[in-house]
Amino acid sequence: MNKAAFYDLDGTLLSCNLVNMYAYYARNDRNVVKSVYQLGKVVLSVPLLFGLDLYSRSLFNVFSFRAYRGMHRDRLVGLADDLFEVTLKPSIFPQAKSVIDCTRDLGYRNVLVTGTLDFTIRPIALHFGIDEVICNRLEFKNHIATGRVLPPLLAENEKARSIREYAQQEGIDLSQSCAFSDSSADVPMLTSVGHPVATNPTRRLRRIAVQNNWPVLELREDSSTLPPFLTTAKAL
Amino acid sequence: MKYHTPWRWNPIRGEYDASAPAALQGTGEISAIDAFSNRTMLLLGGTGFVGKVLLAMVLDRFPELKHLVVQVRRKKNVAGEQRFYSEVLQSPPLRPIVERLGGEKVIHQKVSIVEGDLDEPLCGVTADQVAALKGTVDIVVNLAGLVDFDPPINESIEPNVYGTQHVIDLVQALDAKLVHISTCYVAGKKDGHISEDTPIDGYFPRRGENANEHFSVPEELKWCEQFIAETRATRASNPRPVRERLRDGGMERAELWGWTNIYTYTKSMGEQVIARTPGLTYAIVRPAIVESSMNFPFPGWNEGFTTSAPLVLMGGAGVKGWPVRKDGPLEIIPVDLVAAGILIVTAAVLCGKHKPVYHLASADQNPIMLPRLVAFLGMNSRYRHKHMKSGSRLANVWKAYVETQVITVESLQARRARIHRGLDVIHAALTLGKTVLGGRRLDPYLKSLRDSRRQIRVQEVTLDKFLPFMFHNSFIFETRNIREAARMLTNEDLKRLNWDPETIDWADYWVNIHTKGIEKWIRPMFTTQKKTAS
Repeated sequence: MNKAAFYDLDGTLLSCNLVNMYAYYARNDRNVVKSVYQLGKVVLSVPLLFGLDLYSRSLFNVFSFRAYRGMHRDRLVGLADDLFEVTLKPSIFPQAKSVIDCTRDLGYRNVLVTGTLDFTIRPIALHFGIDEVICNRLEFKNHIATGRVLPPLLAENEKARSIREYAQQEGIDLSQSCAFSDSSADVPMLTSVGHPVATNPTRRLRRIAVQNNWPVLELREDSSTLPPFLTTAKAL
Repeated sequence: MKYHTPWRWNPIRGEYDASAPAALQGTGEISAIDAFSNRTMLLLGGTGFVGKVLLAMVLDRFPELKHLVVQVRRKKNVAGEQRFYSEVLQSPPLRPIVERLGGEKVIHQKVSIVEGDLDEPLCGVTADQVAALKGTVDIVVNLAGLVDFDPPINESIEPNVYGTQHVIDLVQALDAKLVHISTCYVAGKKDGHISEDTPIDGYFPRRGENANEHFSVPEELKWCEQFIAETRATRASNPRPVRERLRDGGMERAELWGWTNIYTYTKSMGEQVIARTPGLTYAIVRPAIVESSMNFPFPGWNEGFTTSAPLVLMGGAGVKGWPVRKDGPLEIIPVDLVAAGILIVTAAVLCGKHKPVYHLASADQNPIMLPRLVAFLGMNSRYRHKHMKSGSRLANVWKAYVETQVITVESLQARRARIHRGLDVIHAALTLGKTVLGGRRLDPYLKSLRDSRRQIRVQEVTLDKFLPFMFHNSFIFETRNIREAARMLTNEDLKRLNWDPETIDWADYWVNIHTKGIEKWIRPMFTTQKKTAS
């Protein structure tokens, strides 16, 4: 039976600030006038996004994808590499790659499970050498983004469900698998595998991890101790 | 990397579909596996871009094929056989396949090499070899030819017309069938949908404009011979180089009949020679512009400068104005689809269920419009110049943040004139400065001005070569015949060969496969070529 390592992306392997990403697309619009207009929109929307994030995470998600409305898919695909170089690569946590390499060496299939969009993830996944990606996709009509996400919207319980479905289709033993996430919203995803790892945990997740006796991993620092199930496997 | 998702991109509607399209069910009228079982194929031109991918695909997908004979040209003092093992089998598309099949030993048993050249009678295959091969070779696939657009006319006629005649002679001597690779662009200066049913013999693009005009290959060849002889005879009296005059005269002749360049003119004559031969079993395969591979042997394999590589490199270098048709597609097709298409046609010919002409193109099912490609070129330039460490900062910012534009040929000419006037002024100022100041202080500037002038001129020439495909004409090549042939295969065949340009996600293909393939395989060659030239 195969085993897999499921990784959350934002906050776990890197910190992709949403506002940074919008600002990137605004800066790189087709001409200067459009860029200025788009940047203005970004600046105005920042307080709104902050408020929404405090109020409801899923509403925040729905609203944040609306920023893509009206964009041509060619542009989103064509600028993905540049977006990665400019905003995402500098925000990768120092230890992220070595943990992914470690799980790969130990025979885990590396799978990203994230709410981020497919075209944004592609360069990240290639950078880390990830095998498979479970992610969100924008809805398009005649190549233009409608601002909605194709169902199912990947978050919280949906992540756990898609992991179980993936394991069933690919013949993966979840009790032998591990999952890495930073947020308490991903507790369903963490509990669906045999070896959950609280990675750069938020205060709430740290509390839950301590209660459940889950290992805690810090990828933001230059060195960290690997969770016990990985160190023993590595020693063998 | 793989996405785990139920959604499939539908490039034609520009939406995601909830499920994959139903797999094509073959009727089983043609069985490629049966057709190739215990048969022998003779491949001419297996050393080219398409040839190598085809060779790899046959070896990889059809172990049933009994034997493969590959003709390889001797190159100076490297024998054909040696060239095949050291050059062709070691090339990036073939090396992984050869390794997977079990190394060169396995290939030795499966493949034999004959040395020869299209210029020689029977393509240089000796009488002994013909006697040995007769009765064993069932099908000849001819990919050989000269793909240069505007060479001196004699250099194009020899391989593409006389060479084709030599291939026909060889096919008849071997009692085999012929699959001949030509090009879609034999259609010449035309617009709109190009049918596969137009009669081949006597075709010329301007046919129908004047009822008194007729095209016939023997008469045309007579004219060419006379023209070549006359041009050579006046070598002493005419100061212009003979090669240049042969090229210009050939281009003029090609355009007189309505062809876009010498290549399409001679290729069309080659087709007509085949169509005129009584009793020959043949199919002509016409690919459009052949581009980087989608999947096989690996995504992004590309070679040479006959594809859109020069355009992608120019776009990457920061060219902003692109003269293209706003409503026109660029007729490109990935090389692995071309190889699969050729094998489908070969199977159809072996089963006797073939048509005379097959277009291998994408636009009649899933067109990629030129303005979209222009936007991709701009985004690539943005990416490259933003992260570029060398060159002038100001120029890099300009190339990164100013988007590409679709323009007309008229405004292109005006732009060029403006640039050249500007450069003239700078040149005059520098020369004046040099006379006033004296010494060599301004020499580096003059040199860099000369360099950029040369670069601009090269870009202009390259762009002009592509104008027939991007601006002057807008073609859509009908591909009914290949789709019908693919439908006739068995389901088992369809697992090995597929013809599915309707599923190509052009954004992903152009940005992530094609552009990166060119950066990896073509740019290094391009830069070394430039270095040796200067």
